[in-house]
Amino acid sequence: MSAPVISLDDVSVRFSSGFGPTRRTVRAMDHVSFDIAPGETLGLVGESGSGKSTTGAVVLGLQRPDEGVVRFEGAPLARDLRSRAGRIQAVLQHPRWAVDPRSSVIDAVLEPLLVGARRSPASVAQARRMLDAVGLPASFDQRRPHQLSGGQLQRVSVARALVTRPAFVVFDEAVSALDVSVQAQILNLVQDLQREHAFAALFISHDLAAVRYISHRVAVMRHGRIVELAPTSVFYDSPAHPYSRQLFQELTS
Amino acid sequence: MSAVTIRDLALEFDGSPPVRALDGVDLEIAEGSSLALVGESGSGKSTVASVLGRLQPRSARILRGSVEVAGTDVLALDTPALRRFRRDELAFVAQDPIASLDPTMRIGRQLQLVLQSTGRDASPARRVEMLEAMRIADPERVIPLFPHQVSGGMAQRIAIALALCRRPRLLVADEPTAALDSQVREEVVRLMFDQARALGTTILWLSHDLPAVARWCDDVAVMYAGRVVERGRAADVLGAPVHPYSRALAATDPSRIGEGERLVSIPGAPPVLHGEATGCAFEPRCPLRTDACAHTRPHPVAPRATLCIRTDELRRRVRESEVSA
Repeated sequence: MSAPVISLDDVSVRFSSGFGPTRRTVRAMDHVSFDIAPGETLGLVGESGSGKSTTGAVVLGLQRPDEGVVRFEGAPLARDLRSRAGRIQAVLQHPRWAVDPRSSVIDAVLEPLLVGARRSPASVAQARRMLDAVGLPASFDQRRPHQLSGGQLQRVSVARALVTRPAFVVFDEAVSALDVSVQAQILNLVQDLQREHAFAALFISHDLAAVRYISHRVAVMRHGRIVELAPTSVFYDSPAHPYSRQLFQELTS
Repeated sequence: MSAVTIRDLALEFDGSPPVRALDGVDLEIAEGSSLALVGESGSGKSTVASVLGRLQPRSARILRGSVEVAGTDVLALDTPALRRFRRDELAFVAQDPIASLDPTMRIGRQLQLVLQSTGRDASPARRVEMLEAMRIADPERVIPLFPHQVSGGMAQRIAIALALCRRPRLLVADEPTAALDSQVREEVVRLMFDQARALGTTILWLSHDLPAVARWCDDVAVMYAGRVVERGRAADVLGAPVHPYSRALAATDPSRIGEGERLVSIPGAPPVLHGEATGCAFEPRCPLRTDACAHTRPHPVAPRATLCIRTDELRRRVRESEVSA
């Protein structure tokens, strides 16, 4: 196997709230370790409050771990966000919040490219090619977000995330707000684009069926710990940990 | 007796050109049963639900058809009667639980107001009981909170308690679990169904969560472009769909497919109608279309009221494939 794109080594994150005797500490991540290889999707499932989104924030470098190390392409994740601009990208649950309502579709997709370079015919062409890849023809270029459906807008956010050819993409509940049929389109789209661009992906969702469909390996989180991490085929069959069994039996019943 | 009877309901939203949201809906829900209305966004599910309480926006014009809920002709009610009807017979549970509660009022106060309106006991003890019935642990802690201070799952349970405490005849739940995570989702749906069944309340559940629909509802009606294209027992319609659209919809559900299989998504998007569809509205996206489909308006074919001119042929095929499987 090739060197991992991102690796978490024994990462812990604690949040505390309250003051004085009512002060409480929550372990959002409790000694979490995993690697993701190029071209691989790791699915991350678990109930609300299990630490899924904190894990997402940590691998994006938005949350510093209290303990442990996050490595991106072999080196510890630098504090400087700009140093990896475009190398790590995210697709979030609500496309309406991810895209500037005043910007046109083509500008939205172009924006990540303009972090390090000036607008040029080449960058516009690159954005255009990406929009073609997600199935939005040139007639969409000048439309604004309110003129698009939820599914089309989620395609724009996928295009926006992948236009910089990132090494690593985090999908946090990226299909949860979509219709079943649109969800299938986006899942297939992500699969195809990954085959082409070989990015590593972390697919965070509470939708077990979608996670199982898109992931190569699945990690099940509970109370900040990873209770099981196994190839997806295990989850079609019989997961080892009782909690994962309980989660996945819903699908087969 | 049926709790809901909708006959040939057609509705347009004003505009230039007007948008035809419902194009001849026929729907019947038996008293005390549960029916799931499934379909893509824009298929008209929510419009049907709003017409049941005559809650459709002002820009909507009903062109023809009738709507009866529990024997009442909803479209003919005058204002005081309509108000009474909405209060006594109907209850709604909306998608966003926190937005459906009053943000300026503590939860205990909201429970009190609704309980008072029933003319029954509204004492603090009764309020605690109501929350306990919804399996909310530690109700005394929850009662003085504001809606933004509780979790989505808890807010939805409170909304369901509020909806059901007037013992409505019909509960309309518009994607009540779409905003919740899977574990809480299961529990909220179970509570909603248990409580409604205990009261004999009929449930209309709008959803695109097909596995959950198959597990919980007695019947399913599949909507497409403002018409019900197939309806029947949930296990039949989702397990062995006949209409090409129901089939395509069932095939997009990732929990049904095995390892290594690929989801088949429906190409294109649902149409926006500007008048009565002359043929089958699904024809442009249908893998099984024939030349006749574009200009023959399909009529319901028994036993599942399938709106497809090739129903007989397709039913035979479904039966064969069941035998081979």
